[in-house]
Amino acid sequence: MRKVIMGNHAVSYGVRLARAEVISAYPITPQTQIVEMLSEFCSDGSLNAKFIKVESEHSAMAAVVGASSVGARAFTATSSHGLLLMHEMLHWAAGARLPIVLANVNRAVGPGWNVWTDQSDSLAQRDTGFLQLYCESNQEALDTVIQAFKIAETVRLPVMVVLDAFILSHTEEPVDVPSQEQVDAFLPRYETEWRLDIEDPRAFNMLVAPEHYMEMRLQMQQAMAEAKGVVQTVDEEYAACFGRGYGLIEPYRTEGAETVLFSAGATSGTARVVVDELRGQGVNIGLLRLRLFRPFPVAELRRALAGVKKVGVIDRNISYGHEGIFASELKAALYGLPRAPQVFDFVVGLGGRDVTPATIHGIAGHVLSHDVPAEEPVWWEVKS
Amino acid sequence: MKSKHSMPTTQAPDEPIVFRTLADMPPLPVSLGATLTSKTGSWRYIRPRYEDKTPPCNHACPAGNDVVHYIAALRDGHVEAAWHTLIAENPLPGVCGRVCPHPCESDCNRGEFGGAIAIRALERYLADEAAAHGWRPERAAARRPGRIAIVGSGPAGLSAAYHLARLGYEPTIYEAASQPGGLLRYGIPAYRLPKAVLDREIANIESLGVRLALGQRLGDDLSWQELAGMDAVFLALGQGVSRPLGVPGEGVPGVFAGLDFLRRVAQGEPVQLGRRVLVIGGGNTAMDAARTAARLGAEVTVVYRRTQAQMPAVAEEVAEARREGITFRFLATPLEVLGSSTRVRGLRCQEMRLGAPDASGRSQPEAVPGAELTLDADAVIVAVGQALDEAPLAGSSVAIQSGRIVAGAAAETAAAGVFAGGDAATGEGTVAQAVGSGKRAALAIDHYLRSGRLAGLPPLYGAAHATERTASQAIVGAEDLNADYIEVAPRPELEGWTPVSLHGDFGEVNPGLSDAAATREAERCISCGTCIACDTCLIFCPDVAIARAAGGRYTIAFDYCKGCGICAKECPRSAMRMEEEGQ
Repeated sequence: MRKVIMGNHAVSYGVRLARAEVISAYPITPQTQIVEMLSEFCSDGSLNAKFIKVESEHSAMAAVVGASSVGARAFTATSSHGLLLMHEMLHWAAGARLPIVLANVNRAVGPGWNVWTDQSDSLAQRDTGFLQLYCESNQEALDTVIQAFKIAETVRLPVMVVLDAFILSHTEEPVDVPSQEQVDAFLPRYETEWRLDIEDPRAFNMLVAPEHYMEMRLQMQQAMAEAKGVVQTVDEEYAACFGRGYGLIEPYRTEGAETVLFSAGATSGTARVVVDELRGQGVNIGLLRLRLFRPFPVAELRRALAGVKKVGVIDRNISYGHEGIFASELKAALYGLPRAPQVFDFVVGLGGRDVTPATIHGIAGHVLSHDVPAEEPVWWEVKS
Repeated sequence: MKSKHSMPTTQAPDEPIVFRTLADMPPLPVSLGATLTSKTGSWRYIRPRYEDKTPPCNHACPAGNDVVHYIAALRDGHVEAAWHTLIAENPLPGVCGRVCPHPCESDCNRGEFGGAIAIRALERYLADEAAAHGWRPERAAARRPGRIAIVGSGPAGLSAAYHLARLGYEPTIYEAASQPGGLLRYGIPAYRLPKAVLDREIANIESLGVRLALGQRLGDDLSWQELAGMDAVFLALGQGVSRPLGVPGEGVPGVFAGLDFLRRVAQGEPVQLGRRVLVIGGGNTAMDAARTAARLGAEVTVVYRRTQAQMPAVAEEVAEARREGITFRFLATPLEVLGSSTRVRGLRCQEMRLGAPDASGRSQPEAVPGAELTLDADAVIVAVGQALDEAPLAGSSVAIQSGRIVAGAAAETAAAGVFAGGDAATGEGTVAQAVGSGKRAALAIDHYLRSGRLAGLPPLYGAAHATERTASQAIVGAEDLNADYIEVAPRPELEGWTPVSLHGDFGEVNPGLSDAAATREAERCISCGTCIACDTCLIFCPDVAIARAAGGRYTIAFDYCKGCGICAKECPRSAMRMEEEGQ
C-alpha cells in the first residue's frame, strides 16, 4: 500500500512490519516521532511489543540489550546527543553480539545548540561494532529497517539505520508499505540459542582474560567481514520479494566518468539532479553513493572507482584536526590502487546548512577545474 | 532468524576451559561450564562480616532486657524460650510489663515505620503466659559459698537476690514490712499491678533459694552487728518517705502524704477523704494517688506547678487519669492549706507561669506576681517526691550525700563489703532502673566474693547484663535499616479499656494482648541489627558465595566473595558490615 509519510514514520512502519517485540527509547528531536508512532502501535494493539519508557538513552540501549539477551527482537531510535549518551552501551550491544536495530536520525552536535542535520553523531560511533547503513529516501528507510533485522540476526551484530534530520525525518514522500504477509515471508521470527534462559542458567558477558579476549574481537571482525556479503544477499532477497534493492554502494551514471561525486544520505538525491544536468551539458561526471559505511566496502569502492581520475567527496561531517571522515575512509580504501583517483574533500552543510543543487554544482565545478586537491579539506560556502 | 551458532548442552567440568581454536569459541562471553574455576575472591579488598549490632530497645532498657531476642523467639513461636530469654535479665517482667515507662518504645526504630513496637505489652504477655503455664526460672547448676544479706525487698533488692541466686548464692532478703515487694506492693495500686502478679514473681525468686526475712527493719529488728557477719550486704532501701510540701497548714487532718495514702489503701485500711480531693504533684505517685482517690469515690483535681508537657508521670498514666474523670489545675503551686484543727477546707495557691528552661531543659515555673487562687477541698494528698529514710543507716559507715547513699559504678559503698543500689542510691525512680541497679550489684558482689576485691570488675556500660552479649555496641538507627524491606504497619490499639464504674474497683485496667495480637506485634518487630536468617544476603550475593550454616547462620566462601558489599548493603536490618582485609 502506498502512503505519503515522513521518514520517521517510514521507520515506524518498518519496525512494526518487522514485528519488533521490545522497544525502548527516550525522546529527542528529530527522532521522537519514530517512537511516538510505535508507542501508538503498541497501544492500539497493531504491534504486539513491550514499550519500555526510560530516563535516558543510555538506559534505552541497556533495556534493549536486556531484551535482546533473552532473545527478543529489539529496537530503539535516537539522535545526536542521545546517541552520544548511548556510546558505552553501543559497545556493549556489539560486544554481547546482540542483533539490535537502532534508527539514528542524523543531527548535529552542540554546543552551539542545533537540531538540524549532519553526520557527526553517527560517524562518532564508527568503531563501536555497529553496522551503519545510510538512507537516501523515506522508502529506503522503511526497507532498510526490515533488512537490518535480518542482517543483524544473521551475523549477530547490531545495525544502525541512519537518515537525515528533517530532510528525510520530517519530509513526507510517497512510500510503498509492504503487507505484513510479505514481510513475514521475508523475515522469520528471531530464534537464537545464545540467550539468557532460566531453564539453563549461565553467566553472560563476564570477564574474559587476555588469553581469549583477542579472539573474541577477531570474531567480531570476522562477523563484520561476513556482514558485507550478508548485506548484499539480504538486499538481493529483498529486491526479489519487493522489487527494491540498494546495494552496498550505488553508482549513478559512473559509466566512463572521469569525475565522480561521492556522498551518503539524502544529499545524494540532490547530487543526482546535478549529475543529470551536467551530463546533459556533456560533462563526463557521475555519482557514487555510499550506503554501507560499516563494514566499509573497500573492494567494491576500489572496483567502482578504478579508472576514475577525480573524486569529489561531500562530507557533511568533520574530524577536527584532520578532514571529512568519508574522504579519509575513501583515501585509505583507495591507497595503493594503481592510478588511484585524486580525492577532493568538501566539508559542507554542517548543522543543517542547505546543500542545494547550486552547492553541488559549485563543488563539481571546483573538482573539474582543478587537477590536484588542496592539502586541507575545502570548507564549502563558509563566510571568510 | 536462526543463528548459525548453537550453545553446547553439556556442562563442562569444574576446570578452566581453554579454547584451542577460534572455531571452538562461542560468539559472545558466556559460561559454558561451571564458574568455580574463577576464584573471584582474589579481587577482594574489603570483606563482609556478619556482625549483630545493638538495637535501640536493648540499649534503652534500664533493666538490660534482651528485647530483640525475646521478641524474635516469640515471633518464631517459641513462647517459653522467649520468656526464659526475658527473665535471664529481669525477674520482674510481669511488673515491668505493666508499669515501666518503656524508654525502649521511645527509641524503637519501628516508630519511623508505623509506630513503635508495643514492647511493654509483649513483656507482660510473656509474663502472663508463664503464669498461665506455670513456667519457673531455672536454678543455678551449682551452689556458691558466701553469706549475703539484702536489705529491702523492692525491685532492686529482688533483682539482686534473683541474680545472685542464678549465680549459685542463697541470699537472704530482710524486709521491714510484713509483705515483700516494697514500693511494688505498697506504692503501685492494684489496678495497675495486681498483687497476684507480684506474688508470683516473688515466689519465682524464692524458688531459686532466696530466703525472705519479713518484719526485719534495719536499725530496729536487724542490727548492723548482725550484718557485719555477712560476706556481702546489699542495701536496697528505696525512697520510702514522702517529701512534705513545706507550707502552713500541712498538719491539718485531711492532708495525706502520697506514699502513706497509697500504702494504707493497699493494706486495706479505711481512709476518709471526703468528696473533693486535691492531689499535689505531677509524677507517677501523684497519678497513682489521684486514680486511687477516684476509686474511693472522690472528685479529684491534680494541682501541678508546670503544664502537662512537663509532667514527669508516664504519658499513658496521665491519659488514663483523664479518662477516669480526673481534672488538672496546671500552673498553680500551694501556698497554704486552709482548714480548721479538724478538717481541710481548701488550698490557697500561687498562680505560676513558665519561665526559662533550667539545666534539665524543663521550663522553670515562676510566680505571677499578685495572682493567687483558692481551691476548695476536703482532703489534700501531697505527692511532690520521695526521700530516703536515713534512720536505718545510723551507726554504719555508709556515706550519705544529698539524701542518697554514695555508691560507685560497682554499687560499692564506703563500708567494706557493703553495696547499695536502687532509688536509695541512684534516685532514678523507675522499677526498670531498680532492676538494673540490683543486677549490677549482684554481678559486683559475685566478683567481690570470688576475688575478694573490686578491682578487675569488667567495665559496665549502660545497663548490666547477666548474659553475654555478642552484638557490637554500635546502636542501629532507623537510617541504618533498609527501608525497602520494611512495610509501614501501624501499632495496635492497646488501650481497649473503658471505665464503667470506678468506685471501689481496683481491678486491672489494661487487658493485655491476646495470643494473636502478641504474635502480630512480634512479627512487626524489625529485629534491628540482629541476623534472623532471612536469606537476603544469600539471595543477593552475585557470586553465590553465601551458604546457610547450622544454627541459622551463614558461611561465606571467600574464594569467591569479591567484596562487592551488596550483601551488607542489602541486609534489611544492618546485621552485616564490610571491613578492610586483614583487620
